[in-house]
Amino acid sequence: MTGTFTGGSVTCPACATPVGGSDRFCESCGGPLFEVPEPTFERVAVPRPAPLDGACADCGTETFSDGYCTGCGHRRAAPDRDEAHVGAVVLVTDRGLHHARNEDAAAAGTVTGVPGVPAAHAVVVCDGVSSSGEPQVASAAASAAGVEGMLAALAAAGTTHAAVLAGLAAATRAAADAGAGRDPDNAPSCTYTGVAVVAKGQGAVEVTVGNVGDSRAYWLPESPGQPQQLTLDDSVAQELVTAGAAADSEAVQRGAHTITRWLGADSEAQPWADSSVRTLTVTGPGSLLLCSDGLWNYVPDAADIAGFCSGRDTTEAARALTEFALQAGGDDNITVAVIPIGGAT
Amino acid sequence: MSSAGSEDISGFSVDVDHNPYLPEGSGTVDAIVSITVGSDVAVAAAPTDRVEAIIVDCSTSMLKPAGKFDGAKRATLAAIDELSDGTYFIVVCGTASAEAIYPPDGTPTRANASTRKEAARAVDGLIPYGGTAMGTWLAYVRDVVDRYPGASASRMTHAILLTDGKDEHETPEQLQQEIALSVGKFTCDCRGVGTAWRVDELRSISSALMGTVDIVADAADLAEDFAAMMRTSMGKSIPDLTLRVWTPAGATVEFVKQVAPTVEDLTGRRVEVSAQIGEYPLGSWGAEDRDYHVQVAVEAAAAGKEKLAARVTVVAGEQVLGQGLVNALWTADTALSARINRRVAHYTGQAELADAVQQGLAARRDGDVATATAKLQRAMELAVESGNDDKVAELGKVIEVDQRTGTVRLIREVAAADEMALDARSTKTARVRKEKPA
Repeated sequence: MTGTFTGGSVTCPACATPVGGSDRFCESCGGPLFEVPEPTFERVAVPRPAPLDGACADCGTETFSDGYCTGCGHRRAAPDRDEAHVGAVVLVTDRGLHHARNEDAAAAGTVTGVPGVPAAHAVVVCDGVSSSGEPQVASAAASAAGVEGMLAALAAAGTTHAAVLAGLAAATRAAADAGAGRDPDNAPSCTYTGVAVVAKGQGAVEVTVGNVGDSRAYWLPESPGQPQQLTLDDSVAQELVTAGAAADSEAVQRGAHTITRWLGADSEAQPWADSSVRTLTVTGPGSLLLCSDGLWNYVPDAADIAGFCSGRDTTEAARALTEFALQAGGDDNITVAVIPIGGAT
Repeated sequence: MSSAGSEDISGFSVDVDHNPYLPEGSGTVDAIVSITVGSDVAVAAAPTDRVEAIIVDCSTSMLKPAGKFDGAKRATLAAIDELSDGTYFIVVCGTASAEAIYPPDGTPTRANASTRKEAARAVDGLIPYGGTAMGTWLAYVRDVVDRYPGASASRMTHAILLTDGKDEHETPEQLQQEIALSVGKFTCDCRGVGTAWRVDELRSISSALMGTVDIVADAADLAEDFAAMMRTSMGKSIPDLTLRVWTPAGATVEFVKQVAPTVEDLTGRRVEVSAQIGEYPLGSWGAEDRDYHVQVAVEAAAAGKEKLAARVTVVAGEQVLGQGLVNALWTADTALSARINRRVAHYTGQAELADAVQQGLAARRDGDVATATAKLQRAMELAVESGNDDKVAELGKVIEVDQRTGTVRLIREVAAADEMALDARSTKTARVRKEKPA
C-alpha cells in the first residue's frame, strides 16, 4: 500500500484522485496503488578494453600515442585473460597463444524483482570472424546487445524463447551497426550463441538456446545425467556430417571452420533458422556451458567437458577448461561461460 | 591488407597499405603510403608567392639544325603566356655563364600584358653564342632566390631548364656542387632538345631539385611541352610538404622511396630530427597524389604481439596535415604472414624496372651485350607483368622479343631519341589501384 496519505485521505500517486484505502487500482486513471516492483539488472561483459594509463609493460615508457608506446612502439594491449562474474555465472575469455588480439566477446546479465520470476539469466558468447575487418567490434556489440535484448524481454515476464529471439534480433542489429562507416565488403562479423535461463520451481529450469555460427552451448548435468551439446554448428562441416559424411573425413575436417551463418552487415536480415532456437527444461544440479571454438576444438565432446566441471565450482571449471585449451595449443581465442543450474542458482 | 588512413583536413589524406602480419623472428615491414592533396586544399597560392625562372640554352649548337632555336624561343614565350598575372618571372640565357635576358637587370618582374610583350621582344632578339655550363645556370637562379627582396618561407621558386648539349664548360664536380647548393632553394624541371645532351646529367639535376626530366626530340614540340610544364607549376600551391617518419626505439628506416608517379629514392635526404624521428622533403604540391614505399626494420616480437613500426606524418610548414600508422602484428599463422601486399609487390617491381632499364642501357652503351640483353629482358618482363604499356612500347624499340621462342635480342640500329626517351622516362611508374583484401 503506497497510496499517498494527505490529511487522512488517500490519493492516487499518478493522478492525485482520492481513492479508497483498500483499492488496488485507481478508479480514475487505472494506475496501480500498490508498490510496483522495479526489476533490478546486473550485467558484465568481457574482454574489457585495455587500461588507459600506466607505463608500457615492455619498456616502461610513460607516454602513449594512438595506443602505441612512444618508446618501443608496442601496443597497449588488453590483458591476455579477462574474467567476470554476475551472480554465480562466470565468464572467462583468453587471447590464446597465436592470435594478436582477442576477437571473442562474452556478456551476461541477471534480472531480479520481476513478479513471478525468481531470477532470470541471459548469457551470450560471440566469436569474431577472423576473415572480416575488425571483427572484435561486432562480437563486443552483438554480445552486449544480445544480453540487453534478452534481459528486457525477461523483465517483461516474457518466455525464455521470446527472450532469445529478442536477443538474436538485437544482436543482429548491433553487429550490422558495428559495420557502419566500414568497408561493406569486409564488414565486421561474428558468431552468436545466447541462452536465456529462468527457474520454474521444484528444481526445474527452463532454458532456451539460440545459435548462429559455430560457437556452442552444452548442458552438463551431474551424473547420472547425460551431458549433451545443445547447438548445431552452422558450418560446412556440420552440413556435410548432416548429409552423411564421416566426421573424420577430409572434407569435413577442411570445412570445420567455414561457417555458413553469421551476424554482421553482410549477413542475411534474419541470420538464424527456426531450428537455431531450442527450448528445454532441465533439472539440476548441473551446468550450462557456452564456448567459442577456441575451446571446443580441443574438447568437443560433451562428456569430456562435463569431466572438467564435475567436482569444481563454476569459476574453477571455466579456468580449468581455458587452461586446457591453452596447453593443447591455444590456436584461437578461448571463451567459456558457465551457468550453474540447481543449488547455487 | 589495408589499414584506413586519416583525413584530418578535408581534401587531404594519408593512406597506409601493407600486410601487418609478420612471421616470428622477422622484423621487416613494407608499406605503401599514399598522399592525396585534393583540389579544395590546393587553392592557388597568391601569385606574388611565386618566382618562375626560364633558363634557355644559348650555346652556339642551338643554331643547328635550323628551327631548333626558334622552337626554344617559341617555347619560352608559350611558358610566359601560361604565367598567372602577377607571378614574378625572369628569363635567363645559359652559356658557359648565365645572364638575364629579361628583365635586363636580373630582378624578377611581375607578369602582365606589358612585361610579357617586353619579354617576347627580348627573347626574340637572342642570338646563340657560347658554351654550356649548367652549374652556373643553377647558381644564377639560386642567386635570384637569395637576392629577391621580401623572401618568405611560403614562396615557391621554380625553374625550367632547357639544353641541347652536354655540360662542357665546367667539371662534373662543379655541376654536382652547384646542384647540392641548390637543393631546397628551388625546384627545376629539365628538358633536353635533340639527342646530343646527356640523360644522366639532366636527371641528376631534376632528381635533386624535385622536378621532371624528359626528351623533346623535335624542337617543334617544345612550345606545347613548356606550356604544360608551366601550367603544372601554376597549379602548385603548397611550397613544401615534409614526410615525418617516427620509428620505435631500435628500429631503422631501411628506405623511403617515392614510387609514383616516378621512382625517386629519398632515403639519403633524411633530416634527422631525433633518434626516432626523421624528415624527408617531398617538394611542392598541387592537387595530386603520390605513393611512397617505406621499409622499416624493427625488432622482432613474439607471436601475438603488436607494435607500431612507423608513424608517418605529413607536415606543411608547422601544420600537421595528416598521418598514417604502419603497424606490425606477429603471428604463427604463415598463411597471414606469407601474404605479400599487392601494391608493395607492384611498386617493388616498378623500382626494379627503372633500375633494369638504366643498367641495361648503360651496359648497351658499354658494349656489354650479355648484361644489356639480360637487364632489358627483365625490364620487359616487369613492364608486361605490371601493365606498364608505355614502358613496353619504349622497350620494344631497343629489344626484340621473338614471340614464338621468347628469345630476346638487342636491336642493332636504335634511334638515339628512342633510347634517350626510354632512359629519361625510366623512372615513370604505372599506378596500381588501391584495394581492400579479399
